[in-house]
Amino acid sequence: MAEKNDHESSKKRPAFKKTGLSDLGKREERLALKLLLPALIIIVAIAFYPLVQVFYTSFTDRVFASGEETSFVGFDNYRRLLSVHITELEPVLDESSGEQLVDSDTGEKIFERPLDVLPREPRRYREYKQFDFFGKRYVIGATDTNFIDGVQNTLVFTVVSVLIELILGLAIALVVNSKFRFRGSMRAAMLVPWAVITVVSARMWEWMLAPSRIGMFNALLDRLGVIDSPIAFLASGSYQLSALIAVDVWKTTPFMALLLLAGLQTMPEDIFEAAEIDGAGKIRQFFAITLPLLKPAMAVALIFRTLDALRVFDIFQVMLGSSTYSMASYNYFQLINNRNMGLASAIGVIIFILIFVFAISYIKMLGADEE
Amino acid sequence: MKKKASISGLLKRAGFNFMIIFILFYLLFPFYWAVNSSLKTESQLFMTPATAVPRDPVTLEFSPTFQNYSAVLTDGQFLRGLANSTIVATSTTVLALIAGSFAAFALGKLRFRGRKPAMYLILAMTMFPQVTVLTGLYAVITALGLSARISMIFSYMIFTLPFTTWVLTSFFRGLPDALMESAQVDGATPFQTFRRILLPLTAPALVTTGLLAFIAAWNEYLFALTFTSIDPSARTVPVAIAYFAGAVARQEPFGEIMAAATLVTVPLVVLVLIFQRRIVAGLTAGAVKG
Repeated sequence: MAEKNDHESSKKRPAFKKTGLSDLGKREERLALKLLLPALIIIVAIAFYPLVQVFYTSFTDRVFASGEETSFVGFDNYRRLLSVHITELEPVLDESSGEQLVDSDTGEKIFERPLDVLPREPRRYREYKQFDFFGKRYVIGATDTNFIDGVQNTLVFTVVSVLIELILGLAIALVVNSKFRFRGSMRAAMLVPWAVITVVSARMWEWMLAPSRIGMFNALLDRLGVIDSPIAFLASGSYQLSALIAVDVWKTTPFMALLLLAGLQTMPEDIFEAAEIDGAGKIRQFFAITLPLLKPAMAVALIFRTLDALRVFDIFQVMLGSSTYSMASYNYFQLINNRNMGLASAIGVIIFILIFVFAISYIKMLGADEE
Repeated sequence: MKKKASISGLLKRAGFNFMIIFILFYLLFPFYWAVNSSLKTESQLFMTPATAVPRDPVTLEFSPTFQNYSAVLTDGQFLRGLANSTIVATSTTVLALIAGSFAAFALGKLRFRGRKPAMYLILAMTMFPQVTVLTGLYAVITALGLSARISMIFSYMIFTLPFTTWVLTSFFRGLPDALMESAQVDGATPFQTFRRILLPLTAPALVTTGLLAFIAAWNEYLFALTFTSIDPSARTVPVAIAYFAGAVARQEPFGEIMAAATLVTVPLVVLVLIFQRRIVAGLTAGAVKG
């Protein structure tokens, strides 16, 4: 690995080879370590113990804020969180005709009850979802449906909001990057959503989305004659996640836009001038020059946005209470309300692993750590 | 022919301006609503339908109130919170920028073994949800015997240091190697090259990451709530707002929360206005000849 790196970079920087690579290389290595030292000291002093403790605690049944004795439970916490069981539901047949029974009220076919089929040992599985596949009915059971639900909510939330933020942030960055008169004030105005304190912003949106006409959105929709009765944005399942995504997109698009803008502004202008002379149109320039050059900045912006989105807590906690969980708000619920610190730590580790997977795939896709 | 071109140019200009207005409206309108709510009394807040400016419930005339602002400003908690937040967020940003830019220079421009592991180690520092690391962090801070303000500054490193390091690394890597080589030929040590040449060139990135990290530290709530529990005089703005919301027995003072939110957002905007001049376009253009 080290050999390969040396080879690659010596190709790129032949100047060093002539002056004796080993000596200079050693000096460079020593300087690098010195420069990394402050960051490493901070990591060791502040983050090392808490992180190791989380890993360790996730294998125990430790109770939060108590003197109770803790014992090692192996993978029990993980098993409880992640056990999922899929099984087929048999149709309930009419005894005389052999046909499947149909509910006389709803007209729906009747299947056996999920609770009768799902395993009870070693832990009870509860119904999470039913689905049809090739004419057969299946049920998904999980030992902790709240957590599985939290994982699904968080993943949908993350993918949708980060994607919208990337597109919107890129558009805003491109607009602000072109020269116009009030560009400076525009940059300051652009940061306002990011600057509003997160907890307060969640309350502010909760008020705007209030389920009666004291809320801005219901008052507006009513004025426009779009709705007959106020919409309960945050109470009903179909609007909940979309509302939260809208809030998050508003709040964090500036973060994305500003990072991409900084990337745009370190691009040398002469490349674009050369492209102009060669007759490349604006759109061609964007796809051939801007996007490839923006990749590193984009990778970093995506990593940190995704990282925050996967850990989303404030807006779920403030706006939805405990009606719908994200992974991190379920984590909070388990730690503070149930004082189940072992389980909460296991949730933390699962989030950690998920974030790691996302980070690695961004880096591989966008080549953020290439030499 | 010429006239046609100028019409299309005019249309382009109009389209561009429309886009800017649309973006500004989208980004600023919710904040306007917060300002609007902060100028309303409780009864005005509960008017149906909600009004776009504070209006008298009976006569519907324009009648803003400043009672929320005076309530917030006479609350000593809030002003002390502002001072605390300024100290904590500024120190956090400075520390994260110094340690981060050093590390980023090493990671982005120097060759050494263990570069990738070091990058991932720094990122791993911030991959746990805050709630999870809170107990461990609390134990560390008690063991080190740190005061509330210092604890906040150090614990905020968890999310600011990986951020500044990674962003700056990507920017350092983008700078041409020729810069370092020509400086080296001129007899500059690598560290001089870093301080005199590379650092000024990444000014846009430094200002951007600094602002983003500052705001992240300014807005942090959970760590601040935990570490100031023993020392209320160290409370930062988000915690102070949460407390004056809970201190009153009657309904939550929504107008006051919005007034406080407006009051803390304005200095940040001013800060950005001051620093944004440093985000100058095309700094690297012409830095390397040939």
